[in-house]
Order: sequence, then structure tokens, then C-alpha cells
Amino acid sequence: MIASRLDELVALAGALNADLAVVPDCPVAVGDGDGVVAAWSHAADFDRWRAGIAGGEPVPVVIVAVWPDSHRSATLVCTSAAEFARRLEWPFAAWYAALGAAAARCADGGAIVALVERPSPLDSAGWAPESGCADAVEALVRSLARSEGPRGVRVNAVTTPARLAPDRPIAPPPPLSTFPGRIDAEVADAVAMLIGSGTTGVTGAVVHADCGRSWR
Amino acid sequence: MSDSKVVLITGASGGVGRGIAQSCGAAGWTVWIAARRALEGARVAAEVTERGGTGHFVECDAAVAADVERAVATLVATSARLDGVVLNATSGLSPKPVVFTDVPIADLQDHVAVSLRGLHLLAGAVYPHLRTSAGSLVVLTSEAGFEGKAKLSVYAAIKAAQRGIVRSLAREWGPDGIRINCVAPLAGTPAMDRAFDMDPEMAARVLGRNPLGRMGDPETDVGPIVRFLLSDDARYLTGNTLMADGGSCPIT
Repeated sequence: MIASRLDELVALAGALNADLAVVPDCPVAVGDGDGVVAAWSHAADFDRWRAGIAGGEPVPVVIVAVWPDSHRSATLVCTSAAEFARRLEWPFAAWYAALGAAAARCADGGAIVALVERPSPLDSAGWAPESGCADAVEALVRSLARSEGPRGVRVNAVTTPARLAPDRPIAPPPPLSTFPGRIDAEVADAVAMLIGSGTTGVTGAVVHADCGRSWR
Repeated sequence: MSDSKVVLITGASGGVGRGIAQSCGAAGWTVWIAARRALEGARVAAEVTERGGTGHFVECDAAVAADVERAVATLVATSARLDGVVLNATSGLSPKPVVFTDVPIADLQDHVAVSLRGLHLLAGAVYPHLRTSAGSLVVLTSEAGFEGKAKLSVYAAIKAAQRGIVRSLAREWGPDGIRINCVAPLAGTPAMDRAFDMDPEMAARVLGRNPLGRMGDPETDVGPIVRFLLSDDARYLTGNTLMADGGSCPIT
């Protein structure tokens, strides 16, 4: 499992009996404007980290989860350039590096699952950067499904709003009372399904483990 | 909003942006071309005027905050209002094929700067004016953002990210009466020609699945769809993506 060092993800790796490779922390922009651009000078750190992960022994299953330490909701026009970079630019870059590492490590015939934080569309006000990052990762998953498919590698995604959901969702209420879903229950079950033997013909798919809040 | 619109189009010195500008010009609208290339941009502004509209050009790098703010300020100082905005600018690296596992992460920056940071900058600059006019923002995305691309993974992801941002922004701006939508075009443009040059099999892949059997024309096929989204006829449409691709993309 290639993931951020968060208690929820460390626990998930343990439950899945997976080794954990930790994704590096994203840089922090010092100020807006030039500060955001300057932070991109750290991009080479991700290249080196990716090369290190990619050089290991092939494995049959790789789960990827790039999650920030915490989340703060704010409308887009009230989001500074530095905060936009923290919420979207760098998580996207980290996802790109991590999924590339996953593809390099995944053995022929194996499976990759991206575990993505995604606000449910109904509840997505205030979460524009996170919505953007989630959709970007879904597209990356489909791109990888295409490029890795010829060697038998399946690539799918599970999304969860577990850390992004509002305390009081707008109407209508989610179909299942377990909304927004628990990482160690509904989300883990969806991941297990996609790496299991019952989904050998499934690739490029996105499963929203959000208890019915998203239909597509 | 009145029937005659004042609109701003970024990246409109050529390709799809130029076609949108021409289409809006044909409706008699005032069209501001915001682009880096002054000569080409001024030429498109003249084409707008030739079609019955009023064309203006303002030099602008969509990834630079000061440029975006200055372009919007110049527009409002001259035209007194802003009814519609089109984010069409995209990275020059967009058609460049890449191998997913080998892309230097630094290479993501130009895509991010123009298409994502650029959307953030533009949204902030135009928001007060679109709130006043109950206006409309249209973001040019791509079918690649729906289905991914083996050799254009960065471009596909960036275009998908724009759709995600638009989905949230529609909910944030709806109470202010501002609409925001995406258009995913498939059109014959210089950028598409470069992509075909770099990947010779791409043309067969693109046209082979298109039920209408041809590339769209930026002015006559794509332009009217964007113009519709900018118009009062689309007053009840927000948070959506219209596929202006001749039925090409299997995901809608």
C-alpha cells in the first residue's frame, strides 16, 4: 500500500495485511504568487521517491491513498493561491507520482486500487479543490487502466467522503444511515471487492463507497 | 442580462477559442479576446467585428494573477459590465504524448498553472462582475477527462479536475445567480493537428468512433454551443458538461 501516513490508512494497511510505503509530505507555499511557483521546485523530490518505490520487487496488488493530514472547507473565491496549491496542486502531483510508482511495482496480471477522498456532489460546495483532485484521480485511474491493461493489470478506484461530509447533509438524506461510510468497514469492503477474485473483468471503474450519496 | 452580451474569452487567439469568439461576434456581442499572442489575438478581435460584433484584444497570460486581474479591470472599465466568461486557455504541452510512469513531476506545473490555477484566478477576478450581471462562466474541458488517455494522462486528469471544480462552483455560485458549465469539444484545430502529428494513429482512433464521421468546426459546431451556455436561453442550466463532440465520447 502506497499511502499518506494517517492513522486511518495505517490501520487499513494492517487490516489488508499490506506493507506500507509512505507518500512524502507535500511542500508548503510561502505566500501566494511567486511562493506557489517556488514550491514546485520540490517536484524532483517526488521523482526520486517514485524511482525508489518503483525499483522494488513486483507485487500482485497495490493500493494507493494520498490524503492530506486534514481538511478545511472554503469557497473557491475565498481560497488563497497558497491554500489552493495545498488543497489541489500538490495533492494532484503526489497522486501522479504515487500512481506511477504503483504501476511500476504492480506485477503483470495484478491489480491497482486508488482510494480517493471525494466530496459527494450534493455536498461539494466549499470543496472545489478536493472535487477537482478527486476527478483528476478518476481520470488517472482510467488512463492507467488503458496503458496497463495490455499486461493484464486492472486499475480501479474507490471514493469516500468520510472526512469531507457535512454534519448535516442537505436534503434528501443519503439512502443508507451509515453515510458517509467508515474507512474500516464500507470503504475497506469496496477495496477488498476490487482486489478480489470476483472482479477480474473490471477495470477503469470507480466505486463510490459513500452509502448511496453519489449515483455516478 | 440584456440580449447583447459582453463576454471575455481566454486563449482565444486561435483554435476553439477563436471559433467561440467568431460565433459570439456573429450574434452581435462584445467579445474580449484575452491571450498571450498579441498579433493573433488582435486578428481574432477584428474577425469578431467583421461578423457584426465588437471585438477587443487584451494581452493576458491566464496563469499570471496580475495579468488576469488587469484584463478583467480593463474590460470592465471599457465595457462597463461583464456578462459571460469562457476559460479556454490550455497548456501548450496538452497534445504532447507522455508515458505515465516517466513524467517528471515538474512537467505537471505548466498544465496546473494554466488550467487549474488559471481557473482559480479567473473565477476570483470575474466573480463580483458575474454576480452583478447574473452571468455565466463556461470552462472548456475535454472528453479525455471522462475516459482517460493512455498517452495523454496529464491532460486528461487536468481536464477532469476542471469538471470537478465546476461541479462544486455551481453550488457555491448558484445562490448568486451565476451559472457555470463545461463544454467538451472535439474540433479540428491547430492543437489537434499537432496531436495527430505526434501520434499518427490518433486520427484513426478519434474519427473511427465518431458517429457523425468528422471533426467539429470551432466556429459553426462548437461556438454556438458555448454561446448558448452564455445566453439567457441556458438560464436554468448549471453544473453541467455538454459534449460538443459529434457523439464521440461513450461516457455522457
